[in-house]
Amino acid sequence: MSTATITQPPVPEPEASDLVGGTSDRRGSWLPNGAMIATRFMELRKRRGLMIALILVNIGIPVVFLTIRLLAHAIAPHSYGPAGGYTVFSTLVAGVLFIFGFIVAATLGCTAGSVDLTEGMFRHLVVTGRSRLALYLARIPAGLAIIVPMVAAGFTVVCLVCSFAAPTHLDYDGVTVPPGLSHAAFDSWASDHAEEVVCNFNINFGPNDPNAPAIMNVLNNVPCGNNPGGPVKVGPGAPTQPQPTQAQIEHVARLMASQNYADYSGRFLSPSVSLMIRTGLWIELYAAIGFLVGLGLSSLMGQRTVPVILLIVLEIVLTPVLSHPDIPHVLNLQRGLIGVATSHLEPAGLPSVFGGMHRVGSSQVPESLTVAICVIVGWALVWTALGAWRMVTRDA
Amino acid sequence: MTTTLADRPVSASPGSDWAVETRGLTKRFGANIAVNDVELLVPRGCAFGYLGPNGAGKTTLIRVLLGLTHADAGTMSLLGYPVPQHRAQALARIGAIVDEPRFHGHLTGRQNLQILAAAREPAARDRIGVSLERVGIAHRADDKVSKYSMGMRQRLGVAACLLGDPQLLILDEPMNGLDPAGMLEMREMILSLVAEGRTVVLSSHLLDEVERTCDAVAIVDRGKVIRQGAISDLLSASAFTLEVDCSRPDRAKELLVGTPWGNGTQVGTDGLHVDLAAGTDREVVAEVNRLLVEGGISVYRLEEIHASLESWFLEVTTRLGESS
Repeated sequence: MSTATITQPPVPEPEASDLVGGTSDRRGSWLPNGAMIATRFMELRKRRGLMIALILVNIGIPVVFLTIRLLAHAIAPHSYGPAGGYTVFSTLVAGVLFIFGFIVAATLGCTAGSVDLTEGMFRHLVVTGRSRLALYLARIPAGLAIIVPMVAAGFTVVCLVCSFAAPTHLDYDGVTVPPGLSHAAFDSWASDHAEEVVCNFNINFGPNDPNAPAIMNVLNNVPCGNNPGGPVKVGPGAPTQPQPTQAQIEHVARLMASQNYADYSGRFLSPSVSLMIRTGLWIELYAAIGFLVGLGLSSLMGQRTVPVILLIVLEIVLTPVLSHPDIPHVLNLQRGLIGVATSHLEPAGLPSVFGGMHRVGSSQVPESLTVAICVIVGWALVWTALGAWRMVTRDA
Repeated sequence: MTTTLADRPVSASPGSDWAVETRGLTKRFGANIAVNDVELLVPRGCAFGYLGPNGAGKTTLIRVLLGLTHADAGTMSLLGYPVPQHRAQALARIGAIVDEPRFHGHLTGRQNLQILAAAREPAARDRIGVSLERVGIAHRADDKVSKYSMGMRQRLGVAACLLGDPQLLILDEPMNGLDPAGMLEMREMILSLVAEGRTVVLSSHLLDEVERTCDAVAIVDRGKVIRQGAISDLLSASAFTLEVDCSRPDRAKELLVGTPWGNGTQVGTDGLHVDLAAGTDREVVAEVNRLLVEGGISVYRLEEIHASLESWFLEVTTRLGESS
């Protein structure tokens, strides 16, 4: 290499105290500052198309569903029940908000984790000298500041409608039952409404049950009038019996009430405040995990589309399929799924999100609460660590 | 009160007279050596051009310097700070555009700068307006970047560089996408930045612009710096032509045939042309004049015609291509 002489320009004297952007702004710190979080929040919030899509999915679906129910009930109240109530609440929460909240959050996470790369801002940010880890971590509070209120808004709409448009009476197996009775009061009420209970409530008994003959006698001889459906009756058939006495009918009604009390006690006219709070926190937890997973996965892959598709497939295909407890050899894989683990934190009083009922005849994958919590924390930490690692090591 | 970019005195970082200093810097992509044992010295307070054909490794060197990708070998320092050891301190005083400047299209120019300023020191947020004014896009600052032309994005990129009130600016092809008026403004802005004591390194393939803007250049080819120095020194060290406006050019040529410069003497439409080798002493010009006058030739004008940076660049890179 040939080198010509370079004329030296005058060089100012070094100043040891010069701190322009050096140490005064903690640029090397892995902690993001408030301005970074605020501007990252702004960047995500200004994505109008994405925000509209997320709001439509997370808030629009329950709003449309509940609006239709409100209108239908207002137009034909005898044909269509009230729009809200406990049943609608539990169905919407487990069937819509929980799953779509995760998808919405994951989509936002995937966007937050990839747009700097795909839109060319990553280089600008790296050249500022700011810690790449801080650049990554700034996205977490910014994204959560969007997703948490968004999920809360959808949930609040559901809570309001389900509380204020709840039915005025509790319909249990086709019988109007006073809500909130104690076990003894429920038995007593059943005794007072013995024929309704006998004709509509379910009862299970076996051939060796000492009450079996009396039950069969009552079930076969009490006229159920216009209730052709009747109860499910299991046991030996013995059609020729003497007419049961009123005392026998009331006794069987009490037996049926006692057997149905566990199910009855989980039904309310409207969701309780406690249930709504616990449910809201549970949905927010799952959405937050969805955001972190999306953020980490998209940062790892350097793009948005494929991670979004993968997480949607995970949520609405893989998790429901792998939630059945009778799949051999993959129990630990099932336990490791974030959806399965989070369903173990589901508040009592809601139907299980992934198949079966939560309490009666549970079909959940067996998993202790400790393991479930470890899986949830693991998903959050591992994906965050992977995303941050890729952010730090990636060529810009 | 907001401190403007020009108001602040530019202070130096400790340790080095060079804004950029690399020793044996190497970057490989598999078998391809994109940056090959580069020894680059960029003096402080000047406009420095980094020239090379396409694929020569200009952008890769810039990326290595800025820590956008790691070096495989060698050492480097920016503003006296060894990097990557003191990368954060060095980059705090550096503004850079690498490749085509791209931003979030759904945000305005101002909002994009807010994002970048947030990652810098708190004072950077006060410089957003000043920077936009300086690059001449303040009137479009609140339009979405997706509606910007390429030239406006280029200006926005420079504004982003200015947020940190940098001592060193590294601009990769800053003239791209600019119309002639925009190029003139960019050139004037670069010169004004240099006048403030800042150092501007610009890589460009627009040799004419570099010649007009820069004080010094480095020529890179196939990842290796093959020449560097002040432009005036580099050009004066190259071959040049002596153009002689005289009476009877044919007779003048005959007079010079027997001299060491006779082989390079030609008669043109505008007079006599004498090709002189690089490093030729200026006394030769006087000698030519003396020979002609003593031979009865009237000499009206003698002018040294030096090569332009462009022709010199082509000469240097062509020679390298032939030797390989």
